[in-house]
Amino acid sequence: MNAILDRLAEVAADPDRYVVEWKRTHPDRKVAGVLPMNFPEELLHAAGFLPVVIQENNEPDTEGRVILAEFYCGYTRNLADQAAKGRLKIYDAFFLADHCVQLLGAADVMRFKQPHTPIFFGQFIASMSEPSTPARVRGELDHIVAEVERSTGVPLDHGRLAESIRLYNRDRALLRAVFDARREGRVHLSSKAMQNLVKSSMVMDKAEHIALLEQLLSDGIESHDPHARVRLHLSGHFCHAPKQALLELFEDCGAEIVDDDLYHGRRYITTDVREDLEPVAALSQWYFDRNVNVPCPTRVQHNADWDTYLTKAVSESGADGVVILMAKFCEPHMLLYPELRKALEAREIPYLLVETEHAGLPMETLRTRVEALVERISRRAAVAAS
Amino acid sequence: MALRTMGVDLGSTTAKAVVVDEAGGIVAHRVVQMGAVSRRGVAAAIDAVLDDAGLERGDLGQVIATGYGRRLVPDVDRTFTEITCHARGVAAMCPGAALVIDIGGQDSKAIRVDEVGLVDDFAMNDRCASGTGRFFEVLARALECRLDDLDDLALAGGQDLEVSSMCATFAETEIISLLAEGEEPTDIAASVHRAVSARTLGLVSRVGRAAPVVMTGGVARSRAAVHFLAESLRAPVIVPAEPQISGAYGAALLGLESLQGETRVIGQAVDREHVHTGQQPNGRDCSTCSLGRAKYQPIDVELWTASIAADRRP
Repeated sequence: MNAILDRLAEVAADPDRYVVEWKRTHPDRKVAGVLPMNFPEELLHAAGFLPVVIQENNEPDTEGRVILAEFYCGYTRNLADQAAKGRLKIYDAFFLADHCVQLLGAADVMRFKQPHTPIFFGQFIASMSEPSTPARVRGELDHIVAEVERSTGVPLDHGRLAESIRLYNRDRALLRAVFDARREGRVHLSSKAMQNLVKSSMVMDKAEHIALLEQLLSDGIESHDPHARVRLHLSGHFCHAPKQALLELFEDCGAEIVDDDLYHGRRYITTDVREDLEPVAALSQWYFDRNVNVPCPTRVQHNADWDTYLTKAVSESGADGVVILMAKFCEPHMLLYPELRKALEAREIPYLLVETEHAGLPMETLRTRVEALVERISRRAAVAAS
Repeated sequence: MALRTMGVDLGSTTAKAVVVDEAGGIVAHRVVQMGAVSRRGVAAAIDAVLDDAGLERGDLGQVIATGYGRRLVPDVDRTFTEITCHARGVAAMCPGAALVIDIGGQDSKAIRVDEVGLVDDFAMNDRCASGTGRFFEVLARALECRLDDLDDLALAGGQDLEVSSMCATFAETEIISLLAEGEEPTDIAASVHRAVSARTLGLVSRVGRAAPVVMTGGVARSRAAVHFLAESLRAPVIVPAEPQISGAYGAALLGLESLQGETRVIGQAVDREHVHTGQQPNGRDCSTCSLGRAKYQPIDVELWTASIAADRRP
């Protein structure tokens, strides 16, 4: 096993431990807990924070289980549980820029449970195609910059921001190199390992992460031979990472994951911030660019939609089918699902919808459904070939 | 030794085994009920079917396992999901079938199939036992009757009561509440069957309606369940003579195909037990169900209550 992949897996498995250790070795620095999915972490990095996208943990929800209603998604209920247990005290401030009602509910719990930890909220407009949208996004970004400056007490250094943008772009580019190589069949990393690459990037100091990725690519990736019967694209699952046991199940059922649009996957790394623009303007532009590169159902944009992206991605990767991973009660995803379904059916792309929860996934039932998809695809191919 | 293959379906409550010959004809079959995902049950089914066929395990060209417990079946050449196997089995048993509704002990599935038994689409219940054999067991317990008595009870019901909860646990509470309100057990049984059928219709809608419809699984042995499903679908529902073995039969055929290197519709079209229209032109009777007709009589509720009081299960 590759030692670098091991290290990245270790961080992905226990982000809290990494944060605590980082704070120990950087006693004069602060850690910012970032809620997904659109907050420009580069701003926090430039302001001297270690930005960490707060991850769902693997503990059962207990103390915070009843704080949010059962129709909140697993991620937000787990955030509430983490807050109730004091797990989020490792963060010095919280930042978010998304107005998902459930996420705001979790933020309220965090505010209530940690009244002395500041929470900074910026709200990016979701309607991307209005004539006034660019100005409103820029205005909100200026507001976020002011919030970041308020949290540090010093003006943001735009030279440092440009440097942070270059650093983040470098990390994204290295990650994309691995994702592209997987899509093109040049490396065969398990989907669990691919998730670890991205999840660790959301947690680690970027320079440290980049150094590890550069070493990994320089050494070469020792990848397994998949012996897979079918190639699948994983789609969906915003905000938090799908359980790794679920990812392993796909491969155990005879599938190889060749591409994805998961937040803990290609969605997070798809778009660089332009380095030829003034840095804040570039971050503003980034907000628009990433919704074109991998459209999000939480945004409304006339010239970009996720279903078109998905079918194009499947065509490019040559995936035989799609597994749609939907966090239960994720309303934007639920609302767009009929469109995804229609698009896939129109192109006769086999697909399977898997709803996920924080705990209690019926793994054997899921195994039957995934195996049935694999069999459906492979038997159909065998008959077509005969 | 002529080529023989065996399919073994280890379901949540029953184990089924089928041996087929080289033309896909059924040589022997067994259904054994012996506890949840029972290893003893599957061993008993295999031993019995081999005995019936006059074969030893080593005489078989392939052994294919399927069902919820497929990974627990020892010494198999490979496994297939019950979705693939039911589709394949039904394509042979009932040529031309387009939609398979399989309701077993713990799960239910709607499978749209093409003409050679390939799965076009499928949907299955998640973790809820609603509409499965388990659900009917809960209903029987709440009504204090034997499972076998449920058919007559439900088919004698007339009034459509509101049974809103489809959770097996909550439904039991609701049934008890209806009994306490003085509602007739016949009407309650019928209403629960209607509610279950509506739930099954939800599964069907996920894969798209298609006809002919074939129902398999242990619940397909229930005349009432088939009747109310047909009524709900507003379409005839075909039930094979042995609705529980279609998965094991499909598995055996897939084993045969893997040895013969081809996929085509071989196998044995079976006698159809009945084609239930779900229509009751004479008020109680099914126009085409010769097997059930004699039993589709109104029940004397007082007599029935007295009889179950004398024969109450522990």
